[in-house]
Amino acid sequence: MTGHLYELRGVRRVYRAGAGDVAALDGVDLIVGGGEFVAVEGPSGSGKSTLLQLLGALDRPTSGSLLFDGRQLRDLGERELTGVRSRDIGFVFQGFNLIPTLTAAENVEVAMVPLGTHRRARRGRATDLLGQVGLAGRAGHLPSRLSGGEQQRVAIARALANQPRVILADEPTGNLDSATAGEVVEVLRALSTEQSVTVIVVTHAADVAGRAGRRISLRDGRVTEDRMVPVVPTG
Amino acid sequence: MFHLTFVSHELRRRLGRTVLTAVGLALGIGLVIGIIGVSQGLDDAQDDVLAPLQSVGTDILVTRVVGQTPASAGSTTPSTPAPGGAPERGGGFFAGRAGGIGQADTDALLAENRNVVTDLAALGEPGQPFTRDFFLSATLLSFPEEAVDEIRGVDGVTSVVGGLYQLAEHQTGTVPEIVASIQTGGETFTQTVRPEPMSDAERAAFQQCLAAQGVTIGPPGAGGGGPPGGGGRGPNPAFDQCLPPRFLEFRAQFTTPLRTIQQVVDPPSTDITSASYTAAGVDPAQPDVGLVTAGQLSAGRWLGVGGAAGTEVLLNVAYANTKAVAVGDTIPINGTDYTVVGLVRPTLTGSTADVYFPLATLQALAGKAGRVTQVLVTVDRAGAVDRVADAIRTVLPGAEVVTTEALADRVTGSLADAQSLASRLGGALAAIVLTGAFAIAVLLTLSSVAKRVREIGTLRAIGWSRARVVRQIQGETLGIGLLGGVLGVGVGALVSMAVGQLSPTLSATSTGLPGIASSSLAGVFGQATAAATTTEIQLSAPLRPATLLVGIGLALLGGLLAGLVGGWRAARLAPAVALGDLG
Repeated sequence: MTGHLYELRGVRRVYRAGAGDVAALDGVDLIVGGGEFVAVEGPSGSGKSTLLQLLGALDRPTSGSLLFDGRQLRDLGERELTGVRSRDIGFVFQGFNLIPTLTAAENVEVAMVPLGTHRRARRGRATDLLGQVGLAGRAGHLPSRLSGGEQQRVAIARALANQPRVILADEPTGNLDSATAGEVVEVLRALSTEQSVTVIVVTHAADVAGRAGRRISLRDGRVTEDRMVPVVPTG
Repeated sequence: MFHLTFVSHELRRRLGRTVLTAVGLALGIGLVIGIIGVSQGLDDAQDDVLAPLQSVGTDILVTRVVGQTPASAGSTTPSTPAPGGAPERGGGFFAGRAGGIGQADTDALLAENRNVVTDLAALGEPGQPFTRDFFLSATLLSFPEEAVDEIRGVDGVTSVVGGLYQLAEHQTGTVPEIVASIQTGGETFTQTVRPEPMSDAERAAFQQCLAAQGVTIGPPGAGGGGPPGGGGRGPNPAFDQCLPPRFLEFRAQFTTPLRTIQQVVDPPSTDITSASYTAAGVDPAQPDVGLVTAGQLSAGRWLGVGGAAGTEVLLNVAYANTKAVAVGDTIPINGTDYTVVGLVRPTLTGSTADVYFPLATLQALAGKAGRVTQVLVTVDRAGAVDRVADAIRTVLPGAEVVTTEALADRVTGSLADAQSLASRLGGALAAIVLTGAFAIAVLLTLSSVAKRVREIGTLRAIGWSRARVVRQIQGETLGIGLLGGVLGVGVGALVSMAVGQLSPTLSATSTGLPGIASSSLAGVFGQATAAATTTEIQLSAPLRPATLLVGIGLALLGGLLAGLVGGWRAARLAPAVALGDLG
């Protein structure tokens, strides 16, 4: 562990609804360190989505403290939150969320655009990352020409483009077959173990959660279980 | 740079949306270009109608028209048109009566047109062929050239030139023989004469003579005493010898009553044919201003000055074509051959002429030495035109003073109707069409944004700022706008071609222009005068570079507007939408 990346104290996120306020998260306390591979589990409505939004600087807590690398995200403005997302956070989505009109390489490059990375550096970095995820020969393909596993690996390459401190994965294997899902999870796990990138995965899949070193369960906006588990060796 | 790549990919790889939006814009832009083209075509047509005055740089036209010139207060001098006679002075040139024809107008009309009466006997011997041209002022009356000098004295006037406009009647044929037989004589005159009775001396001498002849006159009642030769017998020669001489001879003078003998003379059978044309006199020394100018030459050269140049003429191109006359040909008029030295483009107002003479030549031909029918005036600046026109009205009361600006209001017919329609509805129609096109672009862009919520959310989640996302959307819509503009130019070109192919005919009638046909008496002079001021024009919708640029500019504006609305919508999306609902 390389120190606290996230530190949540009494975090609440309340949404206004017609019948009254609804607390999606209700007093979450959580500390996540660098290089951890964390699986977040819970039934629908438990608060997983809200927690991921807060961790990803996509939203701010209604109350409580949320420190990211020592910075109080609640106090940051829109521009600063955008900067945090572009520099320090990589996202991997269930539906891959690739831009359909851009090639695999361009989909990786698009994440580097906000940082003003030079075109040649962008292209080189994209090529390297695609090579790392086993898609060196698919850089010029449109997403529609790639399989689901390939698309998700492109998404992982995109998430790594700016060398983030953390990767937040939203059901990354939800649309993949089990073999491909295993490959994707292994890539994520390798990032955690080999590159000390913190990986937080929201998942319903037990086999994915089983690969994580830490499993956090949510229910009704509260953390009901937070435990370290032995890593299942890849088979 | 990446944005350009991204925009390019978006436009090419979402081709359906790109084309659909661009075509929507293009239709609107094309129609707007078409509307602008038609409007410009109408403007061009109206310019053509008004070109004669504008092309000669004339700001004000001064004429004297019968039945149209209102009387002015202080204009008390009656018009005394007497071609060749003593010139009238001051406002007397233009005296008239509003709303009708006064005695002065009537006299002027007769004087100006008296040579319309053909004296057949003056044409030559019976059976001899003749050609004769008569020049009439019709209802556009002439006035002394002194008016030119009076107008020149008005403040603000920079140049003044007089012109003479005449309706010509060209007659050819054979001089007819006219014989009228009037039978007289056969009258019977009856007169009763009662001589004075014989005096005593006469009676005594008479009886003495009879007695010497052996004739005895008995007492009254016995067969004597009556008139000589009475008594039932025939006249006795002795009586003739013996009667006093005053009974033998009777002389008296009498005068028969005055009588007028009338006989209907049948018109002689002739082969005289008539043809009308219009003639104008211009100052050869002023080629840049007048009823026609050197700038309107289409062939040949301008009129010469002095010497033999007096027999040079210019022909209207249309008239020359009709008569198959070319530059260098001659046309005989009243025994003189006039050389055609140039052809001029036709003008369309009441001042249009078929033949343009040197002013002095036409004045001589028409018997109107020192007289003009029109004065063309230029003013030092546009803003002073109305003031100068008012000043001329003051200097020359009763004159018909028309400014070129006022001419536009006097053009009627389908051209004016179309022009009015275009000005009233053209702008609104263009605005509606443009609004529709913009609305299509905006709605399609909003639809596109709505379909790309997850994509936009993803961009925001991976660190794209709102501004960057808006720029991306605007770049795409501007690209679509550019494409729509190019396509719109094509649609506009098609509209322009369609209008050109259909080539609707518009008529322009310059009813109020000061010319022969502008008078209430125009009908008297028939078709030739009426045709002079009605023009048919083929409508076109010209495509001008400026119009095309406006079209592309509007398309880009539509794209920008769509991008602003679409970008605003996209900017409002929370980045969290990239995640969807995880629970």
